[in-house]
Amino acid sequence: MLVFTRKLDEAIVIGEGIEIKVLRIGRDGVRIGVTAPAHVPVHRLEVYDQIRAANTTAAADVGTAHELVQRLRATTVQDAVPDTARSRSDGRNAGPPSGGGNDPLS
Amino acid sequence: MTTQTIPERIVTFSQGLPGFEDCRHFILVASPSLDPFRLLQGAGATTSPSFVGIDPTLVEPEYRQALTPADLLRLEAREADKLVWLAIVAPQPDGHATVNLRAPVVINPASMRGIQVLAHDGPYRLDHPLNAA
Repeated sequence: MLVFTRKLDEAIVIGEGIEIKVLRIGRDGVRIGVTAPAHVPVHRLEVYDQIRAANTTAAADVGTAHELVQRLRATTVQDAVPDTARSRSDGRNAGPPSGGGNDPLS
Repeated sequence: MTTQTIPERIVTFSQGLPGFEDCRHFILVASPSLDPFRLLQGAGATTSPSFVGIDPTLVEPEYRQALTPADLLRLEAREADKLVWLAIVAPQPDGHATVNLRAPVVINPASMRGIQVLAHDGPYRLDHPLNAA
C-alpha cells in the first residue's frame, strides 16, 4: 500500500487521471472527493468486499460448476422455474424478455 | 427454441470480477443440458474461475435493477442493445444454493462486454435462497 499524508484540499492522482481529494476533515470522518473518468466504477470498499466474498464462495473449476448445474437441475430449481422457461418444442423464444432462451448472445 | 449446443463466445470484463480482477475474459456457455442455468467460464491467463448463473427474473419475476451511466459505458451499451443478465449461484455448505440478486453480471452481446453490477443496497440479497428441495 502506498501511504500519503494529505492536508485539507490536497489530493492524490492515480493512473488515468483519477483524483482523490480531501474535502473536509471532521469528527465524523474525512470527506473524500473522487474525480474519475465516467466509465470507472468508484465504490466504498465494504461494498466491493461483500461482492468479492460472494464471488469467491461461488467460484469453482469448470467441472465442479457443471456438477453444480446438474445437481440444481435435478433437485431444486424445477420447482422454482416457471414452465415457460423449460419448454422446448414450441419454436418461439418462451424465455423472459430479459434474455432467457438457449442463445443468450444471439 | 433449438436443441443444438450453442458455440462458446468470449466476453470481455475490463476489470474482471471483484475477487478475480485478473480474469478479463469469460466464455458464456449455454446449452439445453444446462438450462435454465448458464456457465460463465473464466479464461484468464493466471486465474480461470467458473461461475454458474441464472437469469434473475427466473428467480424473482419482478426483478428490476438499475444500471448507472458508468455501467452502461463499460458495457458500451446503446439504447436499443438487449442485455443478458446473470445472477451468480453459490453452493452453500448445507447443500442448498443461493443466488446473488444484488450484484448480477450483465453482458452486452452487441459489444461482447460484461460487468458485475456493484450495488450497495436495495431490495435484493447477495444470497437469495434458490428454492430448496
